[in-house]
Amino acid sequence: MKNKTKTKTSKIKSMTGYKGLEKKYKDPTYKYRFLSYLMNHIPDVIYFKDTQGRFVMVNQTHAKCQGLKPEELIGRTDADLFPKKRAQIITKDDLYVMKTGKPIIDKVESAMRRDGTYNYVSTTKVPMHDDKGKIIGLMGITRDITRRIRFEHLKEEKARMEKKLETLEELNKMKSEFVSAVSHELRTPLAIIKDIIMLLIDGIVGPIKEKQKDLLMKAKDNIARLNNIIEELLDISRIESGKIKMHYSLINFNDLLMESSSFFKKLAQEKGIDLGYNLPRSQINIFIDAERINQVITNLINNAIKFTEQNGKIKVEVKIFETKVRVGVIDTGIGIAKQDLPMIFNKFVQLTNESQAKRKGIGLGLSIAKELVEKNGGEIWAESELGVGSKFYFTLPRFYTDKALNKDIRDKINYLLEKKLTVYLINLLIVNYTEFKKRLNIESGKLFDDLIVIIEETFKKFCHLGRKELQIILKDYKKGECGILFPKAKEEEATKFCNLVKGRINKYFTKNKLENIFIILGILSYPSKFHAITTSQFLANVSIKKICIGSEIRRFPRIPYMADIDIFLPQNKTESYQTMDISEGGVCFESGSKLETDAQIQIKLKFPKEKEPLYVRARVAWIKAIEKMSEIDTVKYRSGLEFINLKNRDKKIISKFIKSISH
Amino acid sequence: MDKKKILLVEDEKVLMETVTLRLEDNGYEVISAYDGFKGLEKAKKEKPDLIILDLMLPKMDGYKVCGLLKADTRYNKIPIIMFTARAQESDKKMGKEVGANAYITKPFEPQLLLEKIRELLKK
Repeated sequence: MKNKTKTKTSKIKSMTGYKGLEKKYKDPTYKYRFLSYLMNHIPDVIYFKDTQGRFVMVNQTHAKCQGLKPEELIGRTDADLFPKKRAQIITKDDLYVMKTGKPIIDKVESAMRRDGTYNYVSTTKVPMHDDKGKIIGLMGITRDITRRIRFEHLKEEKARMEKKLETLEELNKMKSEFVSAVSHELRTPLAIIKDIIMLLIDGIVGPIKEKQKDLLMKAKDNIARLNNIIEELLDISRIESGKIKMHYSLINFNDLLMESSSFFKKLAQEKGIDLGYNLPRSQINIFIDAERINQVITNLINNAIKFTEQNGKIKVEVKIFETKVRVGVIDTGIGIAKQDLPMIFNKFVQLTNESQAKRKGIGLGLSIAKELVEKNGGEIWAESELGVGSKFYFTLPRFYTDKALNKDIRDKINYLLEKKLTVYLINLLIVNYTEFKKRLNIESGKLFDDLIVIIEETFKKFCHLGRKELQIILKDYKKGECGILFPKAKEEEATKFCNLVKGRINKYFTKNKLENIFIILGILSYPSKFHAITTSQFLANVSIKKICIGSEIRRFPRIPYMADIDIFLPQNKTESYQTMDISEGGVCFESGSKLETDAQIQIKLKFPKEKEPLYVRARVAWIKAIEKMSEIDTVKYRSGLEFINLKNRDKKIISKFIKSISH
Repeated sequence: MDKKKILLVEDEKVLMETVTLRLEDNGYEVISAYDGFKGLEKAKKEKPDLIILDLMLPKMDGYKVCGLLKADTRYNKIPIIMFTARAQESDKKMGKEVGANAYITKPFEPQLLLEKIRELLKK
């Protein structure tokens, strides 16, 4: 062992010629040179003091800090250099070192620089002895550690802020929970009060006078108002805590609107308002949470009725665009002032405008509507003029879009599509999964693994030829969702397979006595078609009642592309932008000015390969306000334009261009 | 005509009183139960013409009571109205799926309740 080390060192020595160097640097002049080099070039302050605290030697840095030359410092004390208080502290430390013979190591203090700014220094002082061991003074090194300390302070500050944020988030959550709990608790007593008042009004507990009845009716109306507020608060707290869950199903949209139309027509009639519906003739099925969207429509129509005077008009219209369905509620009511318009979808908005004083309530309705529409994948916006009327619009996606899909699935689908294969995606979702998990205390992993085994077994039986592959891509144990890819399948096959899976899952639930489970099995096909099978499974021995299958052809795929677009506005104004995406049906772009819904405008499109730009007419289909990220940002609007009266020649150019960029 | 018998299962005592008053005023006979377990017992013993069932009940919740009655051929013809403070679509769906014939959200319109009762008793 010893030998080995020895040979190693000698090797290094011979390699670097160390032996020769060692001899050279043993020379005391070299030693002195090295030390003075260190003294004069190190950025730390170095000094030697005698027992009286007088400097006997200082380095360049020390002198420079004092604005003097090193030799000018010799013989002086700290009292000559520093303020009295600081000098006293230094002297105290010096005396401690020299009396006790113990060093002071790494003492951190803040000191004032000559320019008046403060810095942080770390000082180490050691006693110096003569040959007999008697203390003859001390030497010290002081280092500026301001940067390090500042960094540490920043780190501490950051940690503090993070903790603060955590507390705030916790508080916000508590607030949401509190609002939710309180609202919930308010409902039952409110129901009781209402019932008692209704008993009195209806004379069930004895006759009452007309005046008494009149007052009780007023009490009843106000209970309805209070109840409305409670519902809004509950909705907002659910939205804020992320507890709001959408229950999507395939809905015939016209039916949804017609369901409530007679109620609203009656309500409008009572106020002398003409309420008309303008619905498309073609039936349209969309995948939304019907209850929640109904809530939005109700809110908008109720508002329209509330803010429209006698003899006014309200129009509810539905327009179908290539990827969206747009609902408009247009009234001839009091209107909203221009400066108030951007704020109306905010929470607890208090509009200052005089005409808005009539708008009662706590202003939650529209902010809830916005959340609900956005949760359903749509946009909501408004246009208005004081004294003329308001137009509220919102859109809903016509298809269960790819955005909702997990990235892994999307990638896989794209890969298969590139190979020109048809793909069916079967999506299985247990809607009330969390609640169900709590109730049955079942291990989530086990249930899911069981379900996946069922799917695989069903597939084996279904496809005995073994020519197709089934891939389970996504298993989300948290959400209770899994996605199964079924490539190279035909539509009937996918539907049949889905129904088989459904049957087997039912059997599994029956066998394991699992009750009250709500499952959605959806089939999406790529490219071009959409299907959904909604199954509800509640009690194990209740058969599935509802299966609905719908299909829509995806007409034009939208392709993200930046082409030059000029829009021609009235009064010869032209604005130039770039498109965000483009399809055979229209374009989408962001602009600084807000266009008017349904406005028809002339646009100029310039495609890279075409010499001549295209001049086409387009209609504004939908608008989305882009929220400002910071104060310097300007407000932007994303608008969707739909081409109208497209000439055959232009149509060809556009479709040729889209083909060229989509490959 | 015989008085129709309605079983009201509701844990809120005051609401029980007001609904009973209203039902009696409309010519129904009302029997009451304050929890799910008693409700189920009374439903089996008294064989009412209709049951109004609160969803959140002590001892056994409304879904369970409804499910158990609907699963039993001796009682599954008795119409059941679910009665609750919750207005969630999923709850409504659940209520219907366990076999409830109607669903009424609190606070409710008394006229709506009476209409539903009349409609279900006609069948």
